[in-house]
Amino acid sequence: MFNSSTKYFQISILLFLVLIISCKNEIDKKNKFLYWSSNNSYEIKFARYAVNKWNEQNPDKPQIKFQPVPEGQSSEEVILAAVVGKTTPDIYSNMWQGDVEGYAQAGALIPFDTLNGFTKFIYERCDSSVIEEIRSQDGHIYQIPWKINPIMMIYNKNIISDLGLNKPPHTYDEYLKAAALFKKDTNDDGYVDQWFGYSEVIVTWWQRFFDFYPLYLAASGGAPLIKDNKAAFNNEYAIKVFTFLQKLYSNQYFARERLSARQDVFLSGVIATRFTGPWEIVHAEKYKPEGFEYDFSSIPVPDDFKGPIYTYGDPKNIVIFNTCKDPQAAWEFIKFMITKENDLKLLELTSQLPRRKNLYNDSLFAGYFNANPKMKTFAKQSKYVKGTDSSPVLKEVFDLISQEYEASVIYGVKTPEQAINDAAHAVNLLFLK
Amino acid sequence: MKRKITPYLIVSPYIIHFIIFIAFPVIFSIILTFHKWNIISPMEYSGFNNYIQLFQDKLFLKSVLNTLVFLVIHIPLQIVVALFLAEVLNQKLRLRGFFRAAFFLPVVVSGVVVTILWQQLYGFDTGLLNRILVFLGFGKVGWLVNPKLAMPSIAIMATWKNVGLYIVLFLVGLQTVPKYYYEAADLEGASHWQKFTKITLPMINPTIFMVVILSTIGGFSLFIEPYIMTGGGPLNSTLSAVLYIYKQGFFYYHMGYSATLGLFFAIIIVGVVIVQKKFIEREV
Repeated sequence: MFNSSTKYFQISILLFLVLIISCKNEIDKKNKFLYWSSNNSYEIKFARYAVNKWNEQNPDKPQIKFQPVPEGQSSEEVILAAVVGKTTPDIYSNMWQGDVEGYAQAGALIPFDTLNGFTKFIYERCDSSVIEEIRSQDGHIYQIPWKINPIMMIYNKNIISDLGLNKPPHTYDEYLKAAALFKKDTNDDGYVDQWFGYSEVIVTWWQRFFDFYPLYLAASGGAPLIKDNKAAFNNEYAIKVFTFLQKLYSNQYFARERLSARQDVFLSGVIATRFTGPWEIVHAEKYKPEGFEYDFSSIPVPDDFKGPIYTYGDPKNIVIFNTCKDPQAAWEFIKFMITKENDLKLLELTSQLPRRKNLYNDSLFAGYFNANPKMKTFAKQSKYVKGTDSSPVLKEVFDLISQEYEASVIYGVKTPEQAINDAAHAVNLLFLK
Repeated sequence: MKRKITPYLIVSPYIIHFIIFIAFPVIFSIILTFHKWNIISPMEYSGFNNYIQLFQDKLFLKSVLNTLVFLVIHIPLQIVVALFLAEVLNQKLRLRGFFRAAFFLPVVVSGVVVTILWQQLYGFDTGLLNRILVFLGFGKVGWLVNPKLAMPSIAIMATWKNVGLYIVLFLVGLQTVPKYYYEAADLEGASHWQKFTKITLPMINPTIFMVVILSTIGGFSLFIEPYIMTGGGPLNSTLSAVLYIYKQGFFYYHMGYSATLGLFFAIIIVGVVIVQKKFIEREV
């Protein structure tokens, strides 16, 4: 069909293209780092800002190629697939703290504490308690605490005031009393349709980050769930939390049905409170009805509680994967990305709090917090947040707690003591496997 | 030589497809059942540990029982409703084509969409079904929040979703029954019920068998509905076996154990289908 000269020409073109592509890849591999951020639009904006600034200011250093984590059912799934296929980026900045231990034990991550300048840097950025929290079971540190979204109680100011209260409920007793006042059957059909609060009733493990876990951290002063590969939550605090939550459901102060598929129940006044993070501010400001007022306060605590009130911080951290050719150079970029000035930029662009000490008192951030008073409450709370314990089976631990949570708290078929005991027993068996 | 190679070349696409997508995964799954593997770490040989764990796993047993409960409700309901509607749609009705298309519509709608739609219908406070019940003077029903009702509710929804397909199958079956059987029965003075039980049912026996087998296999793979609607709750009452296997594999990355559960469950399905085949061939 073709004459021989055409054939040779085509083959030459093809070979040339292959050569060009191969060379380009080689150049990319040598002089560029691949950085994946979350695919949240605000974070993409920040990542683009940081990468452009680095590339402009450091033309003689390795350049960064940025892309949001590829689309998938969840970013965790995409990262897992990348680890298996050895196609991980050099740097990833949205790693859930609870996932790190598993990847660290599989040898997929670079230990930061082996890199020059890391130890000094991390002690300047974080409190020693945070550093211990992120330390892996082998003693190394595989993640840099980057940002947090503390879980707090959002409340409808109008409702609290209508109930005759001058402040949001602070203790379990105050919360239950306020809930009793607010619970109502508004259409007189014999069924309660106005509840004081709501939490998703499904057993999915991470739902416990929005009810049991922050309440447990608050009640216990930030105690761990797991210690030395054993359940550490079989204690009075967990029982108090289950008892409190069980009362909320048995008295119909919380709805047993799923309310997530309908109009926002908080903004429509169907519920008065919810345990949530600062992301709620953007949503509420956009969709709140006229005259609607809300604010945030700390998670309720047992009546006899004294001391600082901790909560879950939902930390997302930065890691370097073992596919990175030059971790020291990648670390230089990360150090740049999380300078104080860039942390302020992160806060401004994403409304997410950088995890650094003295955030609330630092004069650099004061302007932002004065302009965004609701975020100030979260900044104040940021000193008292916990992430998750270091364990490769954390999801299963939360799942086992979640199973008992459903049985005891939502359906009342077990006493809180029995449920906590059964969950602890199941977790201990898990570690024996 | 050419004649010897040609047949192999012709079947090679299927053989390649079979090796990559069927044989390899099946063999790999069987190998996995003797290993502990979380995807990111190397596989560890674990002997029969996964099998021992399977027989001690109460939640897996519950998930299998839940699936059987679903099947016990879903299959008879599916057959009765589909056969009844097929009988009706086999008559000379006005807008028959429209009704046939309407009943088939849910089959082509995404399972996720159907599930979300029914979640709204089943809502305790604002769901349409409860509103109708209250309007008629009845109490509200906890369709998805009552552990005893959640699985039957899912079975009803699955029936609604799939019934159109089985109506089509029954319609085909009904149209193959020779008309002169009915004419002869009419001459003998047989009632509608007698004609249905003595002529229709025996004549569509192969269709019934096919519907039972398809519903059984489809029912055993119950996943989307509980995954989206209930997450397996309340109190694990809608935790289907496939959902449990999925959770073990893709929530907790227990690939070896998940493969063991999958293999065991596949054996259960084959067993049930064999029993059904013998039972239906004997009884109908």
